[in-house]
Amino acid sequence: MSGTPINRRQFLTKSVKGAAAVAATSLLGKNLFPTPHIKNSKIADKVIVLGIDGMDPVLLRRFVDMGEMPTFKKLMESGFWGPLRTTMPPQSPVAWSSFITGTNPGGHGIFDFIHRDPKTFMPYLSTSRSFGAKKTLNIGSWSIPLQGGRVDLLRRGPAFWTILEENDIAASLFKLPANFPIQPGNSRAVSGMGTPDLLGTYGTFTFFTDLEIPDADKFTGGRVVKIKVIDHIVRSKLVGPPNTLRTDGRDTEIDFTVYRDPQEPVIKIVIQDHKIMLNQGEWSEWVPLKFELMPMFASVNGMVRIYVQEVHPNFRLYMSPINIDPMEAHLPISNPASYSENLSEAIGRFYTQGFPEDTKALSHGVFSNEEFLQQSKMVLDERLKAFDYEFSQFHEGFFFFYFSSIDQNTHVMWRDMDPTHPLYEPHASQEAKQAVYYFYRAMDDVLKEVLAKIDSNSTLMVLSDHGFAPFRREFHLSTWLVENGYTVLTDPSQMHEGEFYDNVDWSRTKAFALGLNGVYINLSEREVMGSVPPRDFLRIKKEIIARLAHVRDPQNGRRIVTRAYDSHEIYSGPYLDFAPDITVGYARGYRISDEAVLGKFPTGIVGDRKDKWSADHCIDPQSVPGVLLTSKEVKLENPGIWDLAPSILKSFGLNVPGEMDGKPIFF
Amino acid sequence: MFSKKIALDKELYDKAKKYAETAGYSSVDEFVTHMLEKEIANIEEDGESLDAVQERLRGLGYIS
Repeated sequence: MSGTPINRRQFLTKSVKGAAAVAATSLLGKNLFPTPHIKNSKIADKVIVLGIDGMDPVLLRRFVDMGEMPTFKKLMESGFWGPLRTTMPPQSPVAWSSFITGTNPGGHGIFDFIHRDPKTFMPYLSTSRSFGAKKTLNIGSWSIPLQGGRVDLLRRGPAFWTILEENDIAASLFKLPANFPIQPGNSRAVSGMGTPDLLGTYGTFTFFTDLEIPDADKFTGGRVVKIKVIDHIVRSKLVGPPNTLRTDGRDTEIDFTVYRDPQEPVIKIVIQDHKIMLNQGEWSEWVPLKFELMPMFASVNGMVRIYVQEVHPNFRLYMSPINIDPMEAHLPISNPASYSENLSEAIGRFYTQGFPEDTKALSHGVFSNEEFLQQSKMVLDERLKAFDYEFSQFHEGFFFFYFSSIDQNTHVMWRDMDPTHPLYEPHASQEAKQAVYYFYRAMDDVLKEVLAKIDSNSTLMVLSDHGFAPFRREFHLSTWLVENGYTVLTDPSQMHEGEFYDNVDWSRTKAFALGLNGVYINLSEREVMGSVPPRDFLRIKKEIIARLAHVRDPQNGRRIVTRAYDSHEIYSGPYLDFAPDITVGYARGYRISDEAVLGKFPTGIVGDRKDKWSADHCIDPQSVPGVLLTSKEVKLENPGIWDLAPSILKSFGLNVPGEMDGKPIFF
Repeated sequence: MFSKKIALDKELYDKAKKYAETAGYSSVDEFVTHMLEKEIANIEEDGESLDAVQERLRGLGYIS
């Protein structure tokens, strides 16, 4: 694959400056959507938004210049296109929450994938929090919930579609991130990023094998089950969610048996009422399963897809994370609640977990590149089916549809697209080397379908929440804070041992790292083990910000941090209390290390990235803007993702509420 | 075994006795101890251990 060499910085600078000019040129040229018969062409009766997570403006431009994305090219020439400013930090839940609310993160309270509770110092996923059933009645070993558990959406601020609802404008929102649990309302919605699997995780696969897997107990996002093949029969169990009705909270289980053909690469799986024949290399359809909580009385529904990797001589069987079954969902994954069932009746069952592409199976070596790509393409196929169905149902009002493929595939397949990446595999297949391009190209087909349907009363926006950068070197921010005296350890000789800050002397700690971009001052009036008096707060914060800007990679002398931001300078709004005090904007090529995200202290301050997760965007937002394409002229200079909610409202002729700080882009 | 007496007013004790019997506990002591353990677990972050929380967070592709 060859592309026009583009200097990223030049391109971005030029594009931002040139955005207005491009828009003006398009006015002089042909108008794709003439509006002679509309009396008031300023008011749309349809607004269509395609949310393409992680679409990068430079990669898009490269693929368009290669002549492979003709529909994007057409829209670029006839409408507007350019980089879209993203949030600090440029993480999906943060940026999409700004899309939803038309505010900076201070207006919606999501500042990172991971927040901490200052009162308990427990970390949690920022967008939703689940609470177990508080009141139960115990009968023997059974515990009967008298008051149900619940899941709370933690995103605050005004969601733009609530204003559409108030004005009787229909809205359809498919897999919009940071929207789980789905709130009741009049909009039709299916939840996306943030939706857990049945185990309450972001996705936990199960891998059954007779092979010895090194470090299997350290797998994250997956479980390895060692099995024995006896007389060509495997008997094992799929472990489900904990049985909340039992006082011992024991995990639920489903027994299954696999019969292997003695010679041929074929198996039969018997699990509950299902008997499934599969060849080696074949995937099952979705298999609905019931995890029994109390015999005859209570069960919870889930579903898996089964993939036979190897039958002879070794046995390798992959089961997908146990997804919430959209036919019988126990959690609020759609509105109306019955909608997920109607949709699966129309298009078949589909992945309900927030991040369906199994990057963990790839990272742990359970999937090869090709197996991962096959699974990713299955996810995309499901998504395209849903798109065709949803889009065919759409006649007026607001339509949002989300695609995850580019984001997840760029994260893990960048390494094979970029010969300069340390994890580049020169002998990788062409499929692996062109994977990122494949998913960009797929978006061109979607856009073609949309352009064929829109008319003069339609406003179209195609956007991404952030772009991408290679991830080559990891910065151990936690260790840097120790080396600079801000985080103090109880026993420095045990620095590299232990978990989540269990070796920290809080009485002498002034600041700590948490999440993908955050640094918190250990403020006495706020943190449970706070030690910094308020009078020292500002001084320490400014000191750390200044020092971070000078951190250099000892290997090559490069700056690791482009800029560290003071939260009080970049955020405003009612939810500032949830923000880290400092957000760290890494330079391209760098990101925080996995260990430092959750309070471990690796050796040194920088290390090589070794995981297949080889590209990222949790860096300085100026280096990874998203992309915006629209069918109409954009008049606002330098649009940001927070400007789109006001633009959607304005397109329908509605007023923009005061709490939204974004500006309409079309005026 | 360490044991310490706690005073309950009669009304609460009677209720505890009633539910202990309904739920099949062998004594009021056992019932009260179990209820307290559960409530304390709830206070300590909804009964979820730090390990469980970390495991969930690590399911994110962004960290391992």
